[in-house]
Amino acid sequence: MSFPANESIVLADAGVQIAPLDASGAGAKTILRPLSLELTERRIAVIGANGSGKSTLLRLLNGLVLPTSGTVRINGLDTQTQGAAVRRLVGFVFTDPLSQLIMPTPVEDVELSLRRLKLSKRERRDAAMSVLSSYGLDHLAHSSIYELSGGERQLVALASVLAVDPGILVLDEPSTLLDLRNTKLLRERLTALPQQLIISTHDLALALMCERVLVVDDAGIAFDGGPHEAVGWYRESVG
Amino acid sequence: MRGHASLIAGYVPGTSIFHRMLLWRKAVLLLLVAVLVLSFPAFPVWVGTIVTSVVLVAVVLAHFMARLPWSRLWRAVRLMLIFLLLIGVYQWWQFGPATAWTVIAAIVATVVASNILTSTTAIDELLDGLGALIRPLERFGADPERFSLTVALMLRSIPFILGAFSDVKDAARARGLERNLLARSLPVVIATVGYARATGEALAARGLGEACEPSGGNGVEPLAR
Repeated sequence: MSFPANESIVLADAGVQIAPLDASGAGAKTILRPLSLELTERRIAVIGANGSGKSTLLRLLNGLVLPTSGTVRINGLDTQTQGAAVRRLVGFVFTDPLSQLIMPTPVEDVELSLRRLKLSKRERRDAAMSVLSSYGLDHLAHSSIYELSGGERQLVALASVLAVDPGILVLDEPSTLLDLRNTKLLRERLTALPQQLIISTHDLALALMCERVLVVDDAGIAFDGGPHEAVGWYRESVG
Repeated sequence: MRGHASLIAGYVPGTSIFHRMLLWRKAVLLLLVAVLVLSFPAFPVWVGTIVTSVVLVAVVLAHFMARLPWSRLWRAVRLMLIFLLLIGVYQWWQFGPATAWTVIAAIVATVVASNILTSTTAIDELLDGLGALIRPLERFGADPERFSLTVALMLRSIPFILGAFSDVKDAARARGLERNLLARSLPVVIATVGYARATGEALAARGLGEACEPSGGNGVEPLAR
């Protein structure tokens, strides 16, 4: 498998604040302090406590959250002004696949992703089956998404996002709702992907498989470095 | 979430005559059923009763011709049972048993006919059909893709809301609050708003409803095509 060139993700003083409740500025809350980062590694993990700002940082990367200060650029595209183009480049996988899967069956959900490509009906169905088949999910193609296990749902959500070939894949705690077996399965699938991956996770084994780990704490980057140093630092900081 | 049964059934793969029938023909048949059974007030009661009864029998036969199980038929009726009972009692009291039967048969026939259409048509095909229906209005600013996506989201939200009702009922019962209307309704509203937000975010993340591009690819080698 040939890996693509690394994508360019640049955050320049990007910060997020919730707007103040009144004109005096009282009530403004900082969700993410202004930070500057260049993310070029192929595998990047974001770890940290719940509510520390991990999800906000990830949502900045495909324009789901816009910075209230600074800029976020993906391959030169500004998330503020070129959101649609950014989202075509950056796939996003949520923690709960049920909120991500829109159609009643996996094949229909993958087809929904493919609608953007303006294929014929037959081509779309064939492409959707091909995507599911490549992830070993073709036997679930016509099952109700409610009948799938948590792991199967997450893999279908992943396949739906990957169906349109995003260059970058952002995953927000993809294994939080999964059992150990499914976490392991998902980890294996993720490591085999050619995309640049940015994953927020509580699964430190997954973080250790990445090239770079960001530890987010108190709405800022508390540590940025190699996986062993970062995970070690995080473990110590937790006590 | 559980309890996601729905009045309108999901697609059941198959090869029956209804599965193979073109969507517009099924839609015309559904319209015909609705017109036949809902136009009974224009005719004498006995005519309406006979026509509606015949249509109901035909629709039930069609259900089995589509090779759909009994359970699907019963589920659709069961979900409306209290509603049918109330309507039936009222109609009997006001207009007599023949009218009560005609009204109930009309409602059941249209719901079962709708069930046949949704059970034998893949959602994707249904969305394409709705899109085609809206396409002539494109010149007035209507967006067929967005319209069909909206309908898909509406269909998708029904099982969620039913499931939320079921979960909240259980949670209220576990806390001994089954008679507390607030405890049984407020969490459903909150869950539904949360679901709407999450769905909106998921749509935005997948770029659905945004401008289309002629072909895919961002310089990354396709994974599975």
